[in-house]
Amino acid sequence: MNCEQLQEILPHVIDEGGNAEAESHLTSCAACGELAHDLKHIATQAGLLLPMHDPGPRVWSNIQQSLVSEGLIRGGRTPGSAGVTAFPQRLSPPPRAWTPLGSFIAAAAVLVLAVALFRYTPSAAGTQAANQSSSGDQQLISRISKSDPAVGRAYEESLKQVNSYIADAEKAAKDNSSDAFASEQLVDAYQQKAMLYEMAAARSTE
Amino acid sequence: MTKLNSTAVIGALVAMSAGMAVAGNVKQSRLNLNPGAVLTIVDGGGSVSLHAGAEQQVVINATTYSDKVEVDARATADRTRGEVITHVLSQQRPSADDARVDYDIAVPSGISVIVNTSTAPITVEGVSGDITVSSDTGQIVARHASKSHLHVRSINSSVEIADVNGTHVEVTTAGGPVRLTRVSGPSVEVSTTTGKITYIGDCAGGGKYKLSTHNAPIDVFLPETASVDMEARSSEGSVDSDFPFTKKDHVSYPPTGANQGRAFSGTSNSGLSSVDLRSYSGRIRVKKQ
Repeated sequence: MNCEQLQEILPHVIDEGGNAEAESHLTSCAACGELAHDLKHIATQAGLLLPMHDPGPRVWSNIQQSLVSEGLIRGGRTPGSAGVTAFPQRLSPPPRAWTPLGSFIAAAAVLVLAVALFRYTPSAAGTQAANQSSSGDQQLISRISKSDPAVGRAYEESLKQVNSYIADAEKAAKDNSSDAFASEQLVDAYQQKAMLYEMAAARSTE
Repeated sequence: MTKLNSTAVIGALVAMSAGMAVAGNVKQSRLNLNPGAVLTIVDGGGSVSLHAGAEQQVVINATTYSDKVEVDARATADRTRGEVITHVLSQQRPSADDARVDYDIAVPSGISVIVNTSTAPITVEGVSGDITVSSDTGQIVARHASKSHLHVRSINSSVEIADVNGTHVEVTTAGGPVRLTRVSGPSVEVSTTTGKITYIGDCAGGGKYKLSTHNAPIDVFLPETASVDMEARSSEGSVDSDFPFTKKDHVSYPPTGANQGRAFSGTSNSGLSSVDLRSYSGRIRVKKQ
């Protein structure tokens, strides 16, 4: 199994564990091993931060449609089962439903994570999703600023800095495609952005 | 004399009214949770202080400053989950001051805690277990924990962690500075974009330590007894060390040519713990304590 074949089934590997062939590749290939580790880490952390707010089927459906329309996944695979987003199951009825903003931000966070995933094989779809997340930034800032302008400014500044980090890391990864360090920095940068979106999503449900 | 008395009376009234304004209404609640249960605390402004409880119950002292908000503290019937949430009463539009609630919460051992605030600072003192704290802009302080999992996230608030050992520590902040003092464990990871990272300690325990930034400096202060296998690299920043490392023969990023001054690797003592310092353009410095 090569890197490309592994990345085809990576969501499944992260969610349910891979077969012997996949595990063997993850052990022997440092880049894929690191990528799988980082994505598992993101999924786990997303779950820890959103323990009581599980989006309904309609939200998952919208997220799926967004991912399909961006060409990030093929139709028929549900993001919830793909493991890219690991929102845990509720233990009891939720205290409140997701707000529209929460749903939007959750979808945007999924896109950010998906971009991080697909950055390893740069594609037009990935670039398109990255551009879309910029408009997502504006919407996120606008909504948070309405409830608390000072916190909105904090998010705005942080998103600006994180986007700069992503741009630098992308350039480094492009200029040094064989350098694992550059690829890891890109994952770190996307993790930072995913963290901002996850925190905004948690906030929007309060 | 009369004028003096009037001034004194007015002053006293002002002081009293100020005192009344800041004096809050304290209400105590108790939750019965089973070991292994998850307690979630959500607060906007005010403060959240967690400490170890002597009792088997979660004891919540909530101080409110207006009648426009109330505190909901409840547990599920099976005692596996509890939550403490600041709740704005319907038809009310409290100011930031009116909406703040100060929480002082005693947590029994064996309870996992999740705290989520906007501007409220969070202090975790002596609580062990699975602790997840998250704040947009409120300062986060965690002290005196062992054999725990500590997850911290912030947008731009400062994070201070001290005297924590045997603990999985993970800190992610976009802009806030992070300071770790005597922190060790199987894994200690800190990631920031613009927040400076300072580590003071011995990286003990044979764990994996990873500190990374985009453009902020990383300072590590190690005692001579530290047993570490260290790699440090900054793509565009400088890397320097005055620590007496033994240079490694085989490195993934040789500190020569264009990389001169941007990377180094070395071991000290038996190189028990792995320490990975990385930045895109921030300065990395390792110093002997």
